[in-house]
Amino acid sequence: MSLAPDGHLLIIGAGLAGYYTARQMRTQGHTGPITILGAEEHPAYDRPALSKAYLCGTTDLCDLYLDDPSDPLDVRWVRSDAVIGLSTQPLGVQTASGTFYLGDAVVIATGAEARRLGGHAIRSVEDAAALRAAPLAGARVAVIGGGFLALETAATCTTRGAGSVTVIAGEELPGLRRLGQPVAQALHRLHQEHGVRFLGSARALSVNPVPAAADGCRSVRPQARQPAALQGSQAPGPHSITLSDGRSIEADVVISAVGAVPATGWLTRSAVALDPVTGAVLADDTGFTGIPGVWAAGDCALWAAQRTGLRPVGHWQETVDQAQAVASALLGGIPSPMQEPYLWSDQHHVTIQAAGMLALADEVKVLAGTIESGDLLVSYLRDGTEIGILGMNRLREVVRWRRSRRVRPAALAA
Amino acid sequence: MFLTEEGTVHALDDTCTHQDASLAAGWVENCRVECPLHESTFSLRTGEVDQPPAKRGVRVHQVTVQDGEVLVELSTAAPQLPPGVEVR
Ligand SMILES: Cc1cc2nc3c(=O)[nH]c(=O)nc-3n(C[C@H](O)[C@H](O)[C@H](O)COP(=O)(O)OP(=O)(O)OC[C@H]3O[C@@H](n4cnc5c(N)ncnc54)[C@H](O)[C@@H]3O)c2cc1C
Ligand code: FES
Repeated sequence: MSLAPDGHLLIIGAGLAGYYTARQMRTQGHTGPITILGAEEHPAYDRPALSKAYLCGTTDLCDLYLDDPSDPLDVRWVRSDAVIGLSTQPLGVQTASGTFYLGDAVVIATGAEARRLGGHAIRSVEDAAALRAAPLAGARVAVIGGGFLALETAATCTTRGAGSVTVIAGEELPGLRRLGQPVAQALHRLHQEHGVRFLGSARALSVNPVPAAADGCRSVRPQARQPAALQGSQAPGPHSITLSDGRSIEADVVISAVGAVPATGWLTRSAVALDPVTGAVLADDTGFTGIPGVWAAGDCALWAAQRTGLRPVGHWQETVDQAQAVASALLGGIPSPMQEPYLWSDQHHVTIQAAGMLALADEVKVLAGTIESGDLLVSYLRDGTEIGILGMNRLREVVRWRRSRRVRPAALAA
Repeated sequence: MFLTEEGTVHALDDTCTHQDASLAAGWVENCRVECPLHESTFSLRTGEVDQPPAKRGVRVHQVTVQDGEVLVELSTAAPQLPPGVEVR
């Protein structure tokens, strides 16, 4: 089932998963050709800074390129050509430009697309550039969503001098369901201290441009350039957001950070099994889809352990670890072990890091720090056993915890 | 400053070349330090980086140990700071 040393590997999607899969293949000794097909016009880039340093204006796109121009991967990159279909016999893919690429193995790594309620979203560098160019200084900003991406974006908008920032998180405290009470309280406090306002458990129902007449002097420009596939209004100018509790709020800049949908539309008529709810490519815990020669990694995929809730979806380290595991499996070597899940986020000079199986916890215990000082170290337990940790500016402690639980390949082979 | 299990002493710039993270909070193993935030590790001897997201090595300083005293000769090379970070 593994790929011959001179076999041609086709990677679909030039993002984090695609880049790391290729990199791992080379590191682990694959000598055959590797082709990475990407829809975007840019070299593969890293996304986390898009909601942080890039949006602040302190980093540029070239700083985010994944491949090192001074030491590039031995890979053929094809840009600006979206893949539109997968063929299993012969194994290969069809692109929008009409080219058919044959491969001895295919790794699906097309990531995800932002779910768009209206206003701005942040998934691609174009999204982030549009928001970076928006007149944020003095503006009334509304951020829809309560996850890390929403909170990071809210924090960056305060740095950019927004007049007001309101977060519509859809829960009493941001992160309450996923991270528990102490962390949610600390996050709430941290953002409030920086002037961010929360609207409690109210959810956003719809986003609509405020009619020009109501605004008096502003004219709402036509929406001719709005792609038909995007939902919600993208028009510039003030918008009104209708909330689930009957209220509505007005904002000059609306940003939706309400999750992402796997970019698997091009696979709906293929033999690959997709999750009926999210549309993610279903795979086992080595990334194998069950179709000979076809693998999947990153935000487009749902591995078995993610499906059962054991591992998180949509994070950087998860994608990198999956890419490594897929490469090991493709090369038929010792399976590379998945480490404890790990994710991080930067908000107002606080680095939040979480490791372990937080979603399975039935108890949360504060180990050190306080909600007020924003330096919490929190332990997550299940049936009294520690299964996860979260730190706010606790780099040392989180590193130690992850290291103490590191699984080595040898341990698996034994 | 790092003291390895083997007893050798090394001096590096503290800021990772990828983002503003303190390498002193990282993990030292096999004469390399792993950044506490992401995947990159740096050689304590040469500062060279092994894998992304950091692309550039970190600046190292010359260390000599004399009669139990650690002497550090600061490098004259330019520091490799992450984008957006300035010398403090
Ligand atoms: C703004 C932002 C901030 C983030 N911050 C953090 C963070 O702080 N911490 C953290 O842990 N994680 C963070 N993440 C998550 C992390 O970046 C993702 O998990 C990671 O990018 C997933 O990589 P991927 O390769 O699967 O998908 P992507 O990076 O989305 O790459 C997929 C690529 O495939 C291309 N593609 C899609 N369809 C096709 C097609 N049909 N044909 C060809 N190419 C196609 C896309 O254009 C894209 O270039 C953040 C994500 C975003 C968007
Ligand atoms: S900050 Fe060190 S690797 Fe990212």
